[in-house]
Amino acid sequence: MNTHPYLRAYMAGIAVPTMLLLAIMTAFTIARHVYDVPLPIERVIVFPMAIVPNLFGLWNILYVAMGSGRRLPIGFYGALLPFVLLPIAFTMATFLGFLSFTPTALVWFEILHIPYVFLTIVFPGTVAVYYLIWKYLVGSLNELLGIA
Amino acid sequence: MNHREDEKLKAALKQALPPMADVELGRDLWPQMLRKLGEQAIRVPWWDWTLAALVASSFFFFPKAIPVFLYLF
Repeated sequence: MNTHPYLRAYMAGIAVPTMLLLAIMTAFTIARHVYDVPLPIERVIVFPMAIVPNLFGLWNILYVAMGSGRRLPIGFYGALLPFVLLPIAFTMATFLGFLSFTPTALVWFEILHIPYVFLTIVFPGTVAVYYLIWKYLVGSLNELLGIA
Repeated sequence: MNHREDEKLKAALKQALPPMADVELGRDLWPQMLRKLGEQAIRVPWWDWTLAALVASSFFFFPKAIPVFLYLF
């Protein structure tokens, strides 16, 4: 099966965040409609629904395009994605109006005050989760599709 | 349906579905099955378990970070 490796890479890349989206949608929906958290869900969901899966797909295409000789281990390669994703996420969230900056904290969804110190936890945490997702989920899908 | 029609139908079925020529397996599949069962699908090293545990515990200690995490996946 040597045809369309980039198409297979894209599909393997988007599969994981698309599946995770079900859990994310459920969490946001419960927060919004059960616990009455004033989340502008239709604006919030754009990023995990449209941008993240496509970025995963494109990132995996890039990984396959690099060729087996020049590739980083897939876990480390995936851990680099938050460095691209986070600036996009923060910019979008600011423009869509559910992230603002105060002198001491980030304010998400107008209710969650996250001190800047917390970013030292959120960012490495995101990198770690991306490392695990890419190593074990995207990596095994790539193997399954014969593009590892 | 009488006896003659029964016989005709039997013959027609036999003609349409000829017996399979070789029904025996070419090789024993059980050793292969045992090997597959013995294989561990994914080996997760201890440092990855540690990393996963650290991330999970960070959700417990900093629940405010959960929506931000969800936003990024």
